[in-house]
Amino acid sequence: MVVNVKKLVKRYDDLIALDHLSFSVKEGEVFGLLGPNGSGKTTAINCILSLLKYDKGEIEIFNKPMSPTAYDIKRDIGIVMQNVAVYEELTVYENIDYFCGLYINDKILRKDYVEDAIKFVGLEDYKKFTPKKLSGGLLRRLNIACGIAHKPKLIILDEPTVAVDPQSRNKILEGIEEMNRQGATVIYTSHYMEEVEQICSRILIIDKGKAVATGTKEELKEMITLGEKITIEAYGVPEKSINSLRDLPNISSVEYKESILKIKALKGKNNLESVLEFIKNENIQFANIYSELPTLNDVFLEITGKELRD
Amino acid sequence: MFRHIFTYRLKSLLRDRTTIFWTIMFPIILAVFFHLALSNLGKADSFEPIDIAVIDNVQYREDQSFSMTLEEASKGEDRLFNLKVVSEDEAKKLLEDGAIKGYIEAGSSINLVIMESGLSQSIIKSFIDTYTQTVSAVKTIISSNPEKAQEVLNSIAHRENYIKEVSATASEPDVVLNFFYSLIAMACFYGGFLGLRVINDTQADISSLAARINVAPVHKIKTFIYSMSAALLIHIVETFTLLAFLRYVLNIDFGSKTGYVLLTTILGSVAGVFMGALISAMVKKSEAMKVAILLAVTMGGSFLAGMMVGEMKYIVAQNLPALSYINPINLLTDALYSLYYYDSLSRYFTNMAILAAYILIFGLGTHLIVRRRKYARL
Repeated sequence: MVVNVKKLVKRYDDLIALDHLSFSVKEGEVFGLLGPNGSGKTTAINCILSLLKYDKGEIEIFNKPMSPTAYDIKRDIGIVMQNVAVYEELTVYENIDYFCGLYINDKILRKDYVEDAIKFVGLEDYKKFTPKKLSGGLLRRLNIACGIAHKPKLIILDEPTVAVDPQSRNKILEGIEEMNRQGATVIYTSHYMEEVEQICSRILIIDKGKAVATGTKEELKEMITLGEKITIEAYGVPEKSINSLRDLPNISSVEYKESILKIKALKGKNNLESVLEFIKNENIQFANIYSELPTLNDVFLEITGKELRD
Repeated sequence: MFRHIFTYRLKSLLRDRTTIFWTIMFPIILAVFFHLALSNLGKADSFEPIDIAVIDNVQYREDQSFSMTLEEASKGEDRLFNLKVVSEDEAKKLLEDGAIKGYIEAGSSINLVIMESGLSQSIIKSFIDTYTQTVSAVKTIISSNPEKAQEVLNSIAHRENYIKEVSATASEPDVVLNFFYSLIAMACFYGGFLGLRVINDTQADISSLAARINVAPVHKIKTFIYSMSAALLIHIVETFTLLAFLRYVLNIDFGSKTGYVLLTTILGSVAGVFMGALISAMVKKSEAMKVAILLAVTMGGSFLAGMMVGEMKYIVAQNLPALSYINPINLLTDALYSLYYYDSLSRYFTNMAILAAYILIFGLGTHLIVRRRKYARL
């Protein structure tokens, strides 16, 4: 096990930030910590890194207890903070070299590592730029390079794509997948479910400091009753037809607003087919129709009763 | 590891324009302003010859004793008067125009004509009175005891001064120096900006940058010490630069104890950097608030040490002597002052001992806060 967190409790006065949180991360995984803002993701990361005191619980990294002086463990960890954490006065190259030098003493090896990191995040043309001259996306890439230049075995990325343009976001996500392919275990926190779905092999959904559910995205979606969401652009649907639609087998909810019919169906086969047949029989005029599988937001919604981005 | 952290901290601190401005540029600019504003203050104490005139009449030309005495008093670098021998009308005009302080008219008695009273007029009057009294005394003595004539003339020629001026020091008194000494003290304590910056980059509960460094496999205290070493080196070089600027560009005199002056600024710089570090570590507020506190402490201390009002140092020493010893900027100012004025080093060492205690307090206080490796909040 790369990371093992057992019954972690962290209180801020009366507020319980982490409530007996337990999870483990296996070698080679991209482990996602998914939860809304304020759910305890960053607090959990700071406890794992031994930056934050906690009230109860145990944290092991590489099967050893984590502590502020566990330098042998720290040597193999790379951290990418939520906020950009670089020296404003140093250039791109100097920043990466500085942080890499805190882990790697060998100057020649370090030079290679720094060049690799610059290449990895695509900052070759900006080596002599100071952070002030970089765009938001490039700055985030520098932030990542500073965290991963020493080629750690465990990389922790805390919301690395906040306020990043789509192009840089894709570059960052591709980079994380590449690092994972090269052998790094990754812990990735985000409140963007699409990102987590895209790159994480296993996901822990966290809310109010509690582990709500954990598993692969497929396993998580299996945990809920929702099987399919059908959306139809339909005109002049009478109330009677809406009620009849609700009575169809497997249909859990029907909403009709501004010519959009939203139908949620439980898991089962031929849901779309039976809805289409009903509409045809009722002579309801429609333009577009499409069906979606549940997302992690649906998982979160069904388990907690609120949206991920609330 | 020391070299790696030290070198990069040196680079980052030296490129921090705001910090460099406050720690070296601002004191130099202030020194130039002080120099421009105070350069005439010292000169005010030196004597300037008084502009006078004497009416060129028959009595003046005939009274050779007086004309010679007056002309003698108007010769050389140390002369008492700038004398003009003019007609009565010219003398009146010169007086009305303010070109002279008064004019002398020789007659049956020697008269002084002035427009207003003042120090210069009193000096002219005193000169005339002394002359008149001396002439009268000589005449009386010669008429009653002609055999004493030579003795009297000798005593006039070789006047004895019965007041002896004893200086406590070899240095020349200069009221301006304390302004510059307190400015140096202020500059030393502006090193607090560097200490503040080091702590911001060390404490994970202050910045993400510090959090990232705390996660690295380097002992936190080592990181702190290496970073502080860079800050101290920069600040000591800055204060030496300021000293050199004051000494060689503005010609500010520091006396002959150069080694002690350098030691004083080194200790002052250390105290300043650590004071900033302690403020930053203790105050859990925004950086702007920390800077405001640092500025308030430094400027307040400088004010009480006499940087803005020269007499303030003495007012504090007379009315609240304890405050003189509590104020570290005054300790530093007074150390430089005592090095310049006194041959004895006892006052200097008292100041330095208290300053060393301050360094210990600032350093230990900072260490106690910085040594914490885990935080209750981030």
